Amino acid sequence: MRTISKKLNKEEIEAFGKEVDTLREEVMAKVGKEDADHIRFIYKTYRYTEVLGRGLIHFSFEPISFVAGTLLLSISKIINNMELGHNVLHGQYDWMNDPRFNSRTFEWDIVCNAHQWKFYHNYMHHTYTNVLNKDHDYGYNFTRLTEAQKWKPVHLTQPFTNMFLAMNFQWGIGAHGYRVEYLETPKKLRKKKTLNDYKALFFKKIELQLLKDYILFPALAGLNFPKVILGNLLANLIRNLWTYAVIFCGHFTENAESFTTDEIVGETKAQWYLRQLKGSSNLEGNNLFYTMTGHLSHQIEHHMFPDMPAKRYREVAPRLKEICAKYGQHYNTGSFVKQFASVWKRIIAYSFPDHIASKVMGKRKKFLEPTIVLSQPSFQVSLPSEEKSVTLT
Amino acid sequence: MKSFPFIYNEPREFLSSLQPKEWANFFLGELNPRFSVTATKAKVIEVKEETSDSKTIVLKPNWLWKGFASGQHVPVTVEIAGRRVTRFYSLSSHPNDKYLQITVKRQKGGLVSNFINQNIKKGDILELGEASGDFVLTKELPKDLLFLAGGSGITPIHSILRSLQTLNYTGKATLLYFVRSYDDIIFKSSFDSMQKNSNWLTVHYVFSDIPKEGYASGFLSKEILETYVPNLKSSSVYVCGPSPMQTKALSLLEGLPVKSELFLLPGQNVGKVKKEGTVDVFLTLSHKTIQVKGERSILEELEEQGIYPQSGCRMGICHTCVCKKQTGSITDLSNGETSQLGEENIQICVSRAESNLELEL
Ligand code: FES
Repeated sequence: MRTISKKLNKEEIEAFGKEVDTLREEVMAKVGKEDADHIRFIYKTYRYTEVLGRGLIHFSFEPISFVAGTLLLSISKIINNMELGHNVLHGQYDWMNDPRFNSRTFEWDIVCNAHQWKFYHNYMHHTYTNVLNKDHDYGYNFTRLTEAQKWKPVHLTQPFTNMFLAMNFQWGIGAHGYRVEYLETPKKLRKKKTLNDYKALFFKKIELQLLKDYILFPALAGLNFPKVILGNLLANLIRNLWTYAVIFCGHFTENAESFTTDEIVGETKAQWYLRQLKGSSNLEGNNLFYTMTGHLSHQIEHHMFPDMPAKRYREVAPRLKEICAKYGQHYNTGSFVKQFASVWKRIIAYSFPDHIASKVMGKRKKFLEPTIVLSQPSFQVSLPSEEKSVTLT
Repeated sequence: MKSFPFIYNEPREFLSSLQPKEWANFFLGELNPRFSVTATKAKVIEVKEETSDSKTIVLKPNWLWKGFASGQHVPVTVEIAGRRVTRFYSLSSHPNDKYLQITVKRQKGGLVSNFINQNIKKGDILELGEASGDFVLTKELPKDLLFLAGGSGITPIHSILRSLQTLNYTGKATLLYFVRSYDDIIFKSSFDSMQKNSNWLTVHYVFSDIPKEGYASGFLSKEILETYVPNLKSSSVYVCGPSPMQTKALSLLEGLPVKSELFLLPGQNVGKVKKEGTVDVFLTLSHKTIQVKGERSILEELEEQGIYPQSGCRMGICHTCVCKKQTGSITDLSNGETSQLGEENIQICVSRAESNLELEL
């Protein structure tokens, strides 16, 4: 990927990091009642939309109330997953000491088990953001997004596999989670917990979700059950498409950079901040839009301060942007349409071999070329064998 | 792990994952903030000024309140700047009263006691836990009773005296109430009327800071006991107050049956330790390593660094803060014992890091 940012020397990077740290401290000092009230309001909205949505679906005898119910249920699931779940599971509200908003006790309405998600998202993805072979969110195992991933004919299909992923996004998240946890367990410890142990947790969560959406609630509706099944199916679909769109915009726009494992050896906090900035991209919109994305519209801020109550990103963003401008760093932002188009440009471009891809994407600058060609990355749907996984030392 | 179908093997877990209680709590809470199926919530009916630095909060609890015995305490949770904080307070009312009451004196630097005094008003909701504690009357009432109270240590004793009153106690009871000055006496009118209407109770106020004519002054001493408690030798004693007073009392009353309750702020029971250097605490669920000094409880040291594990009483009673220690050794602050290095569950509010630790947090 080409970088549009100025290359900074060591001192500049550290100075940049310092300013970011100061900004963080300043905002974190303000966290309090306002944030608690916000998350309680979100919680309330999630509960009401779910009850209303399910109620409307159950008792609908004409299309309008069915559509309204389905939309409300989708909204409920989106809020539950994003502004509530994602942020609570990051520990943004642990300080409230309220079990409803605590990252240890929260479980969400998605087939992915919260504990497993915390491992590969909070830890793996947020520590190794956009680092090939380490960040398992990067392309979700089957999307080629950079020259550093070797082209194979199968990549020609990635526009289609991605559409499939978008529609079933929750399954993608859940299913790669347990595998990541297994892969990232030191080999010696894998005997203690086998892949099947990790899998069982995932399957348990699937079973619950399927039971709830497709058996329990339909059964409650009696003869109206086909409608309930359909409504739940649609709500899950809408939620999947929305989260896919938002999340892909966060890291895979054309100007979002990727990194190699060598680049991050001995990385300082300031360098880590810089990598979060370069690897993430924002979406612009209004406050309602921000809330519905769980503030992943502020992916850059989220990646720099994952444990800051998300609504605070709105006040952080302009100040961070200033700091970036001061240091000549590209602050990747744009409208939803623009960013989403750019994601798809990238997905399609890299489905072709390099000579075509680079023509579409433009030339990369030299200094970001990986110094070492990596062995085959583990971007396949099947389980990679042991040798293929890369462990950082 | 039991296998598929999980709903058949673990029906309870499945049911609870549908969050029936959360749903119930949510909608009940929408109807009335006092309603809940899991939490004892209480509405503030009235706030009474007792002295310049203490207030009595009258509470109406919901249906989950199980009652209490005079002398017991209850965990009270308030929300301060969005954060839930819990402290224990003795109930100062009588179990048969229509409403509950706690009496809270401001402690210097005390977060909750100051908050309650400044901010709690009629209509607010507080969360209570279950009443507990064995600072209560024995089944068989002793013939002679001596109560030694210091400062806000009077609250459980007030409740006990009122119990004695309703039980038509026929023995002799003496209350020695050590307090800074005349103006700091809590429940003065209540004691006065109890004394007037009974022939079993004698109350003596002893002022430690500002003397007043006609009253004793000073701290707890042998002389004071001898002057005011003629039947000392045969008395059963209840002591409640700050720790120097307790220590003194226990040494003066050796040989007598004594029940005591110590009033402490969280963290006060921690014998302060000074340490050189730091130890590493690895939090396995969040994959963070942080350095702590091992001077105070792990909970406090984590919070200092912006990590907030769940907590409740912060004094080792409620087990909210329990977490699995995978490796490393800790010192249990409640008894000073140092643990083994292996896996075990610990209460991080009363554990101090002794070596590098791995915690499931
Ligand atoms: S917080 Fe109550 S036992 Fe630790």
